[in-house]
Amino acid sequence: MMVNKDLLVTDILPRVSQPARYTGHELNAGAGYRADAEATLLLAFPDVYEVGMSYIGFKILYDIVNSNQAWAAERAFAPWPDMEAQMRVHEIPLYGLETYTPARNFDLMGFTLQYELTYSNVLSMLQLAGIPMHADKRAEGDPIVIAGGPCASNPEPMAPFFDLVVVGDGEEAIADIMSETARGKREGAPRAEIVSRLARIPGVYWPQARNHVERRIVTDLDSAEYPRKFVVPFLEAVHDRVALEVMRGCSRGCRFCQAGMIYRPVRERSMNNLCELAEALVGSSGYEELSLLSLSSADYTRIKDLISKLASEYGPQGVAVSLPSLRVDSFSIALARDVEKSRRTGLTFAPEAGTQRMRDIINKGVTEDDLMAAATDAFESGWDQIKLYFMIGLPFETLEDIDGIAALSRRVLQLGRQVAGARGKAGRARVNVSVSSFVPKPHTPFQWFPQNTREQLEEKQSCLKERVRVRGLSVSFHDVEASHLEAAFARGDRRLAPVIERAWDLGCRFDGWSDQFRPGLWQQAFSDMSLDSSMWANAEYGYGDTLPWDHIDMGVSRAFLLREAHRAEDGLTTPDCREAGCSGCGVCRGDVRVRLAGEFAGSSSQGGGQA
Amino acid sequence: MSTTVVRVRLGKGDQIRFVSHLGFMRAFERTVRRARIPVAYSGGYHPHPRISFATALGVGMTSEAEYLDMELDGAASGSLSTQELFDRLQLAAPPGMPVIAVCTADGRPTLASRIEWASYRIGVHDAVRHELKDAVLELLSSDSAIAEVNTKSGQRRADIRPLVREICWSSSGALECTVACGGRAHVRPQDLIAHLRSMQGCGGAPGQECEPIGRFGIHRTGLYFTDREGGDLVSPMSVECRDLVMAGS
Repeated sequence: MMVNKDLLVTDILPRVSQPARYTGHELNAGAGYRADAEATLLLAFPDVYEVGMSYIGFKILYDIVNSNQAWAAERAFAPWPDMEAQMRVHEIPLYGLETYTPARNFDLMGFTLQYELTYSNVLSMLQLAGIPMHADKRAEGDPIVIAGGPCASNPEPMAPFFDLVVVGDGEEAIADIMSETARGKREGAPRAEIVSRLARIPGVYWPQARNHVERRIVTDLDSAEYPRKFVVPFLEAVHDRVALEVMRGCSRGCRFCQAGMIYRPVRERSMNNLCELAEALVGSSGYEELSLLSLSSADYTRIKDLISKLASEYGPQGVAVSLPSLRVDSFSIALARDVEKSRRTGLTFAPEAGTQRMRDIINKGVTEDDLMAAATDAFESGWDQIKLYFMIGLPFETLEDIDGIAALSRRVLQLGRQVAGARGKAGRARVNVSVSSFVPKPHTPFQWFPQNTREQLEEKQSCLKERVRVRGLSVSFHDVEASHLEAAFARGDRRLAPVIERAWDLGCRFDGWSDQFRPGLWQQAFSDMSLDSSMWANAEYGYGDTLPWDHIDMGVSRAFLLREAHRAEDGLTTPDCREAGCSGCGVCRGDVRVRLAGEFAGSSSQGGGQA
Repeated sequence: MSTTVVRVRLGKGDQIRFVSHLGFMRAFERTVRRARIPVAYSGGYHPHPRISFATALGVGMTSEAEYLDMELDGAASGSLSTQELFDRLQLAAPPGMPVIAVCTADGRPTLASRIEWASYRIGVHDAVRHELKDAVLELLSSDSAIAEVNTKSGQRRADIRPLVREICWSSSGALECTVACGGRAHVRPQDLIAHLRSMQGCGGAPGQECEPIGRFGIHRTGLYFTDREGGDLVSPMSVECRDLVMAGS
């Protein structure tokens, strides 16, 4: 059974924007649904195709399921509002892109929760699929709806909509889920029985039972499955390139950073493994870019060797090697110089805070000297534009820290003018400052701290705007309302579920897209439920409080987070365990340990002089 | 560096009809890379493979006549035959992008600048066919036909009669037409249909809903040069081309 494809082709797709989002048939796409498959999965990404197709976790799961002959996976993305409207008018249900099979026909539907502001789209997709939104309303024949991804680290605001939630690395968990589902079907077990069996798999959270769950961790990435083929979109994806995950986890320990906590420990792939994957992926995709993916790829212990090997191998084939994230140091500039010979447009650094005091509070191991040295190298190497990322609204922030952002940005610009001036092109130096608002995230040392109120954030923004009115310096801010909502969901509990449902009902969709986001409707949804978003976004949780995500164990101990929160208060930094020894975060036990492919070169202050 | 220009004819199948021209070009560039064909690159900050398409195809249409010229890096490609190129491309091409023919060409003047005509086969429902029969006759018998046409610079009114070289009904009931295509004069097949329909009173008024263009199933069947002397239509692979290899040959 498939949806009415003729109707799609003749009446629907010609009327919507970017119709290729909905047609599939890309190179390397899997065969898709078969009625006789032992278990079938619809991978659902609650954002548009171009965003979902950029996400590596989605590709990994797709590959694992489809490499097993007995299983089948398809993909579905959130239809853009124009397509959603057409699907409703023509009664076309949500379908998988591989065979146009309706979502309801699959055994499992697996949502990736990558970002809080995609929650309303999850509800759209369930509704378009014809699957009851609430897990407790689902019956025999309804797919089992599962969520995973970084936001699963606090699934509570969305808990009533999912039968199950997978916490942590998905490589092994997905295989367990598929085989357990297959077994249940074989034995003719009822849906409820299969759900309860799946709930016993390590790393699986059963919202109905509110069980304690320990995050699933893949101990050795080399032996975990990684695709040798990517589906190559015809539409340009946001990240349209070979993504080579060089390592998982980061132990730099920035206290605001959730990824830096929930993906620990650092697990590097070996050089051999990476070269082998690169060879397969470049050959099977034909991509023009090979990107070394991780939270901080410059930290990969053999990064220089890796880049020179890949660049010499693939450069002549017209494939550029790229680094998505750079540290603030000269070493990184040298790397960037090696890989981006042809792209001298802009370079991005993230000092995050404007004063040394604040950088120590957040444990961002970067000094002003580091930044100046890196910027000097960058300007001297021919980059004219530098982008700087900062955050406002951090814990213990004062006006001096806001001033610091302006002052630091101006100093970088001044430096650029001097360096570019020496080449007679002082006017070409540009500094673009991007300022986001701090969002306190679960499982971080800052999880207890409130986000600044919207009024405070707006005041800080306008204050900063005043101070950077200089030619050559531009500043952009992340939307305050969006950050506020993100904080409410991130720190929220189950009481938020009816609010999300109400907002969806009022028409909220694609809240992460500034042209679609309607904060007024969200405020109405909160007040309709007699609640206020600031109850979560701006709440200060006590160190002794039970937090809404306490039963989700990400491996990093509460004692460590608490210690880090206190050290932040005292302005004390905590060094990276890769150079200073164990900092006692608690994640390493048994086979779970830091795995490096070479010798860790150290932080910027130690390894920075190499350029 | 010596270069060879290779001319390729591709199809665009039903399953990728909604892929944009840009997406189609990108998919071909990646096919070339997968096929390990030593294509020449432009210099400068953003090196691009030297591949140039004859003309864009509208989103939603299918085709058996997408032509492109690609320059090979002479040093590296020395011994590659067109048969070898054809085989490699065919193996590496994504579904929906059949490789129909490959030959070598001069490449000067450019392919795009020489294309003047395009032919289309337009699938039409029985009811609509009946409605259009008179309009086609009327168009053929008139000297001018002022129509709304969409150009790069927006919508304007233009005489499309000289731009319609041929229009007739095929034995299977499809509308076959050959219309001007390229930089000098251009008419989009959907504009021609819209004009024919407006002659019959449908789709003339702004905002009026009529049969969606998606239902017409527009398929490009050919692109042509004009013969300098006789004025005849000439296939881009028939003149100045050597070593032609075709699918099924």
